[in-house]
Amino acid sequence: MTGAEFRGVDIDLLADYIGGALAGTPDESVVATLIADDPAWRDAYESLSGGMAAVQAELGQFEPEPMPDDVAARLEEAFAAPRMTLVRDAGDAADAVREKEFDLAKRRAGRRLRWVTPIAVAAGAVAFVGFGLDYLAGRDTSSADKAATTAGGAADSAARRDNNAPAPARAESGPGAAVAGKGEAPRPPQILATGTNYSAQTLALAPAQILSSRSAAAPAPLARLNATATLQQCLDLIAAANGAGPITTETVDYAKFEGKPAIVVRFTAGNGAWAWASGPSCGTVSGHADTLAKVPVR
Amino acid sequence: MDPQGGASDADLLRAHLDGDARAFAVLVRRHRDRLWAVALRTIGDREEAADAVQDALLSAHRNAAKFRGDAAVTTWLHRIVVNACLDRIRRRQAHPTVPLPDGNRGDDRPSAPEPAAPAEDHDTALVVRQALADLPAEQRAAIVLVDIQGYPVAEAAAMLGVAEGTIKSRCARGRARMALALSSLRGHEPAARGDRGHAAEGNQQAAQAVSSGPGAGRPLPTSGEGRDER
Repeated sequence: MTGAEFRGVDIDLLADYIGGALAGTPDESVVATLIADDPAWRDAYESLSGGMAAVQAELGQFEPEPMPDDVAARLEEAFAAPRMTLVRDAGDAADAVREKEFDLAKRRAGRRLRWVTPIAVAAGAVAFVGFGLDYLAGRDTSSADKAATTAGGAADSAARRDNNAPAPARAESGPGAAVAGKGEAPRPPQILATGTNYSAQTLALAPAQILSSRSAAAPAPLARLNATATLQQCLDLIAAANGAGPITTETVDYAKFEGKPAIVVRFTAGNGAWAWASGPSCGTVSGHADTLAKVPVR
Repeated sequence: MDPQGGASDADLLRAHLDGDARAFAVLVRRHRDRLWAVALRTIGDREEAADAVQDALLSAHRNAAKFRGDAAVTTWLHRIVVNACLDRIRRRQAHPTVPLPDGNRGDDRPSAPEPAAPAEDHDTALVVRQALADLPAEQRAAIVLVDIQGYPVAEAAAMLGVAEGTIKSRCARGRARMALALSSLRGHEPAARGDRGHAAEGNQQAAQAVSSGPGAGRPLPTSGEGRDER
């Protein structure tokens, strides 16, 4: 049985009939008549019925396929391990609640690297910037997200848009610009270098020192983030990790968080105002927001 | 011992929405093996399956608030995972790779059969897996859900967001193609590769032949998927 012997028979239609897909439709009687009257259809019916049943039996014997340990571990890491303690109200430690820091940006960046590796590192970097622009302009709704809410969604079409996203606009904007709304003239963030050693309890408090100057020097561990493009990339990834669309950056403070060098960003987004502490590796192409802590600001 | 082990899926999703940082992880742990099996067998590539599952679950995590409760949570999770797989397959089709020398490589087909089966039925399992891998993606997804994972047709229809008749049709057509392919591979091994495309292409010839055959008096539906989208 190769199908060649079924010349003159619509195998898909016959399969539909055998599989019950035509039940109650006019086609059911059409096919039944063909099987009764036409030897080619009858032979095909007899042969294909047995073959399909055998296939179904074979498929039913497939062994279970448990998730491999390494894949399960990836998911455990993503969903099971709260990495920080957050406080909803910095002034009341009793209300402290643990929330999960969900480093989506890291995962997106990791996936993107795999996708673009065959092309070129440079092209990958351009695509990455394009992705950030696209995402932060509010156009990033992966089709997996759509699938989570609608019937016809499909995952990860963000990747398609990543590759098609316009890359160049970012270079014309300073830090904070791309995260502002489309068409708005973004106000540049205040750049501070207070050196304050923040904690989870004090992160939401306003910086003690205002040095409204872009030339505020970042301490050595954070020097990389002194570059406009790198700082912008860091802000992009913070916005992505925040997961509430574009952010409007108010201040960027080169400081510390619990004794470690940190850039503390205060911004507003669709989910409110936040103070966000990120480590020195925030904004590396292959990296992530390097989030150390985040707290809502009231 | 998971303290939330006794909670229902819906309870866990609600707890996640209420800020329980561990609830979604419990949900994932509970269903990950089945989601993985569906993804791996639909997409056929381990790394792609891993990425698809991860992306899908990240999406579910983000969009949990939008879950309307029309279906079971597990149905919703399966739908997201299957859609993620199909989207990756479509993307592969949109950016085709260099064809293999035999010219029969379809870009919706997995790049390789799934991991090997036990040794005693290694050959049979490989042949069946290869035939499954050669199916169009939508037929493969339906067969994976119904024939391999054992979901009822109605549930598979909800997972894939199509009518039950569509699932029946996709399963039936997929089984028929597999039956033809298996027969060819087993019975005519030397010629099998050359015959491979027949199951996918021969039906069009057959449909044309039918239209001038005994059924010509009344038009038959085409062998495309139009009829089964009821």
